[in-house]
Amino acid sequence: MIKRKFFLNAILGISTEVCYALFIMLAALLICFLINLKI
Amino acid sequence: MILKPGKKDIKAIGYYLGKIIVGLSLTMVVPILVGLAVGEISPVVDFLISMQAGLLIGIILIKLCNTDCELNWMQGMVVVSLAWIAAMFLGAIPMYLSGHWGSYLDACFDAMSGFATTGLTLVQRLDHMSLTHNLWRHLTLFIGGQGIVIIALSFFVKGASGAFKLYVGEARDEKIMPNVIHTSRFIWMVSIAYLIIGTFVLSLIGIFGGMKPFSAIFHGACIFMAAFDTGGFSPQSQSILYYRSFAFEIATVIIMILGALNFRLHYHIWAGNRKEIVKNIETTTLFVSIITVFSIVAIGLNQSGIYPNAVMFFRKGFFQLISAHTGTGFQTIYSMQFVKEWNHLALVGIILAMGLGGAVCSTTGAIKMLRVGIIFKAFVEDIKRIILPEKAIVIQKFHHIKNVFLEDRQVRSALLITLAYLVLYLIGAYVGMFYGHPFLRSLFESTSASANVGLSCGITSPSMPAVLKVTYILQMWAGRLEFMSVFTLIGFFVAALKGK
Repeated sequence: MIKRKFFLNAILGISTEVCYALFIMLAALLICFLINLKI
Repeated sequence: MILKPGKKDIKAIGYYLGKIIVGLSLTMVVPILVGLAVGEISPVVDFLISMQAGLLIGIILIKLCNTDCELNWMQGMVVVSLAWIAAMFLGAIPMYLSGHWGSYLDACFDAMSGFATTGLTLVQRLDHMSLTHNLWRHLTLFIGGQGIVIIALSFFVKGASGAFKLYVGEARDEKIMPNVIHTSRFIWMVSIAYLIIGTFVLSLIGIFGGMKPFSAIFHGACIFMAAFDTGGFSPQSQSILYYRSFAFEIATVIIMILGALNFRLHYHIWAGNRKEIVKNIETTTLFVSIITVFSIVAIGLNQSGIYPNAVMFFRKGFFQLISAHTGTGFQTIYSMQFVKEWNHLALVGIILAMGLGGAVCSTTGAIKMLRVGIIFKAFVEDIKRIILPEKAIVIQKFHHIKNVFLEDRQVRSALLITLAYLVLYLIGAYVGMFYGHPFLRSLFESTSASANVGLSCGITSPSMPAVLKVTYILQMWAGRLEFMSVFTLIGFFVAALKGK
């Protein structure tokens, strides 16, 4: 039971970390579009 | 009065150093097995010779210096700094025997670059290298990224007290679990879990991109090890540009960011404390830092006018930026493009990113986000002291797993390490300028070596002077160990010469 809970938490943890990385990428992509529009 | 190191000190250092050398030698079993599986006999012989040499030296040290005493702080620090030098000499043997490096010094350069997860390389004819030797290059990143001493802690060192001193000496001062040996094993668990997932994703992208399954898995595993351990070696000389795949670049960027996170943070997020990722001082500082520095790079690239649209801006500018900020060193442009196409503003942005680095207790080098965050908080506190009435009590705190009140001790430590890194960046730049390179290029290459990044603007090559090679080796070593154990080693030699 404890092992299964840890496994689930680990999967959710990995997803959270990947979301953090994606968020950084989205923010950077926004900067790229803004710079490209010469704003 | 300086005390001369005694026989007891030498024996303890020799004994633990021997154990680490034995551990390192045994890691060569991996390329030997892979070499046998793919039928590369000559490379297997190179590794057998290297492994035997390492085992022989390690066992002799253990037998000669056999002791049951636990390490003290000085001994632990000296063992760590010597272990990294020993790893360089040992890891360079199979590289030199392969014939892909011009001299043993060049092989030592690449071995230190691998173990310190830098990624600068002097290899020749990389695209024709045997699979076994290529795997070893990437394995050095994986071993060095987790920490050479972590291997010894996980399998060979008994006694948590001595183990903790070795762990701290390797610039890992964060206790993830109460027992440092369990901490080492957790670090391996995270790395191996991500190794499986990352290799699978990269291999899949490779297969869909037209690579053969075996080749895709090999490239996926190598690129994963180099990205997660923020190393930057790649199986092909064109680095990530070789794959010409946007999906591959996106996956690599994600892995580089994951590799730049604190292992302690991984532990708490994996244990269910997922809100930590938005509250932690390191993740918030990393986000602000990446966006700020990328804005500088983007403005510089916009002035250069070399990338016609936002997607190219992202693929070239942001990829290089993340590679620099996380200390990885992958490139999707050629080294000389930094000099010929990027303007000075964009280059300064990349140098800033390299100098700042990722999180503490991760595989990145450089100043690191916790220290940047602490220094920023200290500035805010000082400004508040000036603005608020004299009698007001100013308290500054930050969140790093738990709420921590900012103390002068933490600010002093953060500033000292930051200052040491800045001096190291400048020393390398000065040596580069001595050999006729312009200031900005010298600073770029020097920062890349000291911060264990691996991006190159063309100075690093087999034809560069031996003094510059040795300077970069020392920078990679000192930068990876964050100075303390290096200073202790210097102090140890001074004490041996002048002590009473």
